Amino acid sequence: MTQEPHPHSDKHEFRAEALSLWRITFAPATWALHFVLCYALVSLSCIHGTPPVAITRSALILATLAALAVIALLGWRSYRHWAPGRTGRLTHPYGTPEHRHHFLGHAAFLLAIISAIGVVFVALPLLVIGGCQ
Amino acid sequence: MTDRGNLPRGRAAFWLVVSLALAACDGDQSALDPAGEDASVLALLFWVMVAGAVVLFLMMNGLFFYFTRVKVRSQSRAVARWLIVGGGIVLPVTVLGALLTWGLTILPDHRQAGDGLRIRVTGEQWWWRVEYWPEGSDTPIVSANELRFPAGRRTELILSSAHVIHSFWIPALGGKMDMFPGRETRLSLRPTEPGRYRGQCAEFCGTSHAWMAIEAQVMPPEAFAAWLGTEARSANLPATAAAQAGMALFNREGCGACHAIRGTPHVGRVGPDLTHVGGRATLAAGRLPMSIEALQAWIVQPDRLKPGALMPAYPHLTRAETLQLATYLRGLE
Repeated sequence: MTQEPHPHSDKHEFRAEALSLWRITFAPATWALHFVLCYALVSLSCIHGTPPVAITRSALILATLAALAVIALLGWRSYRHWAPGRTGRLTHPYGTPEHRHHFLGHAAFLLAIISAIGVVFVALPLLVIGGCQ
Repeated sequence: MTDRGNLPRGRAAFWLVVSLALAACDGDQSALDPAGEDASVLALLFWVMVAGAVVLFLMMNGLFFYFTRVKVRSQSRAVARWLIVGGGIVLPVTVLGALLTWGLTILPDHRQAGDGLRIRVTGEQWWWRVEYWPEGSDTPIVSANELRFPAGRRTELILSSAHVIHSFWIPALGGKMDMFPGRETRLSLRPTEPGRYRGQCAEFCGTSHAWMAIEAQVMPPEAFAAWLGTEARSANLPATAAAQAGMALFNREGCGACHAIRGTPHVGRVGPDLTHVGGRATLAAGRLPMSIEALQAWIVQPDRLKPGALMPAYPHLTRAETLQLATYLRGLE
């Protein structure tokens, strides 16, 4: 009985990071959801008048704050996942499990920043224009 | 020796090019020579962006020069990081955010309520159907291919199109607005300086897109009111024998099937309204300056001047006949 090498060791390792891989999409997905919500509701309000645009505007400003809070939370979690303070490393050039782990945190953190900027840019018309002009 | 000889010539050529380029900023179709409130805002936006671009260009090339010529050694990671984070992320986000905010504050201006007059403009292939709706009126004053505005008043334009997408643009007076079949878009303009300006269809709309221009005249409000009063009237009766013969030809050739002349039995709506065609500065949507010769050339073969034009040619008319017809139309002021 010789012990065979575990045929699924790579897969096993990968599965452990699968959740991290999903996680890096959460912040951009929040941005996308906020984008669709803003465009759809403002279009409905301005074309059909229901819901009234003042209500839509307030609701979407609240939705913007909620989206930013979600993205901030995701960003904070990914920052800890990246852990540049603890490891002393900003980049992770090697394909080791540890480097892969921190790299996914790093990527998620940067995506959270750009998603936050995206949400703010999409919400600017709500603040500056306000109505259907 | 040759170097010395070439230097002043090179410098002269440089200033020649610069002055030619700057001279191109003038003119009746220049967004950089604004004649109204709306165009001024856009010109300011343009100049601020140009100035910003110049600063960024100098900064980028300055850094490049500094690190390749002045301080040629490898930089610390801290310097590199600050340059990337500051110059690559923080600066562009701030600049774009500020420009976006400013742009958004300008955006609603194009739908500002007017001071009463509304003008409905419909894009045709390749001309402009124009209707003036003074405040409180329930029937429009129909015209074509020329727009007149009262200076200092805000006029609302209601834009649409008959067949394909066009874009309405009088650069000296304001921004661009697309015209869609089956849909209305709005543009509100407040021209301030009386004068003649040129507009141009700014969305490719077929063979003669480039020949689809529009003359815009900004007039002092009293002069505008007087002009609109004249424009609302029926056509002049032909004054001379030649013009009377021209009117008879207009009937005989069936021109009224497509063209309307108010005060006559001709009520066609396919082509431009000709009630006051002779009073316009141009013929066929800016294609030719208004003159008897231009009218003759146009009638004989419109397609030669404006490829794809829907108006049929009248090559069977003699020169004498086209002269009579043109004399009649030129007299419709």
